[in-house]
Amino acid sequence: MRFYFSLLVGKLFVFLSSRLGLGNGSTWPGHVSLKIDGDMIEKIFARNPATKVIIVAGTNGKTTTTSLLGHLLGKLGYRVFSNREGANLVNGVSSTLVKNSDMSGNLKADFAVLEVDEFSFPSLIKKVKPDVVILLNLFRDQLDRYGEVNTIGSRWFFALKNLPKESFLIINGDDPYLFFNGNEFKQKKVFFGVNKKLMELKDIPHDVDFIYCPSCQTLLDYESLSYAHLGNYYCVHCGFHRTGIQDFYEEKIYYPLEGLYSVYNTNAVLSFARFYLKIDLKRASHIFRSFKPAFGRQEEIVFRSRKIFLLLSKNPAGFNQSLRAVNQILENRQANFLFVLNDRIPDGQDVSWIWDVDFAIVKNNIKSVYLAGDRVYDLAVRFKYENKKVLTYENLKLAVNDVVNKTEKEDRLFIIPTYSAMLEVRKILLGKKFL
Amino acid sequence: MIKIAWLYPDLMSTYGDRGNVITLSYRMTKRKIANEVVKISIKDNPRLILDADVIFMGGAQDKQQEIVNKDLESGKGKFLKQVIEKGVPGLYVCGAYQFLGKYYKAADGTVIPGLDIFDLYTKSPGIKAARLIGNLIVESSLLPGIKLAGFENHTGRTYLGKKVRPFAKVVKGFGNNGEDGSEGMIYKNSIGVYTHGPLLPKNPELADWLILKSIEKKYQKKVKLSKLNDEFEKKAREYIIGREL
Repeated sequence: MRFYFSLLVGKLFVFLSSRLGLGNGSTWPGHVSLKIDGDMIEKIFARNPATKVIIVAGTNGKTTTTSLLGHLLGKLGYRVFSNREGANLVNGVSSTLVKNSDMSGNLKADFAVLEVDEFSFPSLIKKVKPDVVILLNLFRDQLDRYGEVNTIGSRWFFALKNLPKESFLIINGDDPYLFFNGNEFKQKKVFFGVNKKLMELKDIPHDVDFIYCPSCQTLLDYESLSYAHLGNYYCVHCGFHRTGIQDFYEEKIYYPLEGLYSVYNTNAVLSFARFYLKIDLKRASHIFRSFKPAFGRQEEIVFRSRKIFLLLSKNPAGFNQSLRAVNQILENRQANFLFVLNDRIPDGQDVSWIWDVDFAIVKNNIKSVYLAGDRVYDLAVRFKYENKKVLTYENLKLAVNDVVNKTEKEDRLFIIPTYSAMLEVRKILLGKKFL
Repeated sequence: MIKIAWLYPDLMSTYGDRGNVITLSYRMTKRKIANEVVKISIKDNPRLILDADVIFMGGAQDKQQEIVNKDLESGKGKFLKQVIEKGVPGLYVCGAYQFLGKYYKAADGTVIPGLDIFDLYTKSPGIKAARLIGNLIVESSLLPGIKLAGFENHTGRTYLGKKVRPFAKVVKGFGNNGEDGSEGMIYKNSIGVYTHGPLLPKNPELADWLILKSIEKKYQKKVKLSKLNDEFEKKAREYIIGREL
């Protein structure tokens, strides 16, 4: 009884939030349903054994991977739903369930693809008992909010150990820490990564979290690395090494997004396609051609006839990968850049991480650097040490206006914001008309 | 040649700590003071520490800290103590600050011995107590008339003994233990703090203090550093101080 009531009230809130224009990201429906019935998530899934649940976790790439999986499954003819951006906490997931079920709690879907926040992961997989879990990566991110990465990792592995034997795990094997711990699981598992030929770094960069052998604590050797601590590692002391990695290198896959991080996300989806769905990868590759990136993730926006690329970047590993993707997009051309740094709750209040970003990656591609955001002068100090002249703005609208005016119609403009800044920038570019 | 020794850059650089080293080097280079950054980690010869003119060591996560502790105990710790006692200036942040003290008492009562260089100890407040997280604004007697700004994120509560003095007074935030209003400690020319952010880029006066001490120590003479343009540094600091106070 309580369950139906929680659904009913939840649905009422869905109706109200759409009426009040609170948007799809609203997590109120889930919040109130959970208040009424704390077990509503478990109950919905117990009622819908035919709906397979895929959980996507990791520091970076969750939203892109979730949306690529949803796109693939949809095009293959499955009925599928996902949680939207920003709804990856427990109440966000329950909001998604309220929206996608009928009054009796039936889901009428073949797949639920759910991205899950690092912190909510353990409690959610306990509730959801997923059929498939994808672990994309684990990097330092918003330490003031999430805490240390080792702590996050231990909580993940503890929760995963209790999943049923039939669960299917798809794990990034280029990460020595995830590979080592992943191997301990009794469930079915696949390790994905990228081919050695794509690993271009010879020296260990400094935005790393796990470069000591997870087995014997000796410093790992890397033949080469793709980024952060992901690479072809081995331990000279105990023999621990990378092996059995699926990289799909010989398959002639169409990769819908730029950058090595996107190859990782796509390879996670391909692992699912080949080993879980058991489909021909040619079909998957063909379907990828019609994929449009999730908002803010290498999103292209045409604004006053200028082509603007929006690349959400919120931690060192992700930021450095964004910069490498920019390099690929630009090849040897130059462009204007606007970096926006906020320090609100969803961005992380500690901005010290910008010192682990290698802005030098795009050194040769920079025409002019514009800076904005709550912590614009912290960025300015950071750029001073790259010996780059910058233009600073305390007002974001003004910054966007100026950088757009200074960008020739045929030139490109890259806007690289933190999370809350990305929402603000999109509102300026796509929202109500201004100026 | 001023040698900036950066201890365990691959293990103890959690909160953008390398910004401190970049700042020290940059502010010397701008003034034409020859300098070199020497990274010293697990595989490196412990005696490299003896040549240091200024030392930096940052914060680590627990697992990494264990690896560092073992390495320090097996050789480098002894040399570090020697140079600190000799008055070589240095900055020790968070994990490093704690580990150079007498001991760390964990939540379950286990006592992890430190290097016993600084007269202080740290204890966990128990698993239920909150981490001390947030912007931290302090005033230091080393740099009268200015407020320094940074960020703190730590569980351990540190209490100072008689042989060291507090580095600063907390204006906003928690500092050493959230109780006595002190932040960090000074012992000879060494500074231990919880303030990261990283600390030196936004607080260039403190970077200059360390640079001055390293030159005085090495060349045994008083010098004056030329002024640099710190417009952005001051604006960055003023913004966060203005918002917090």
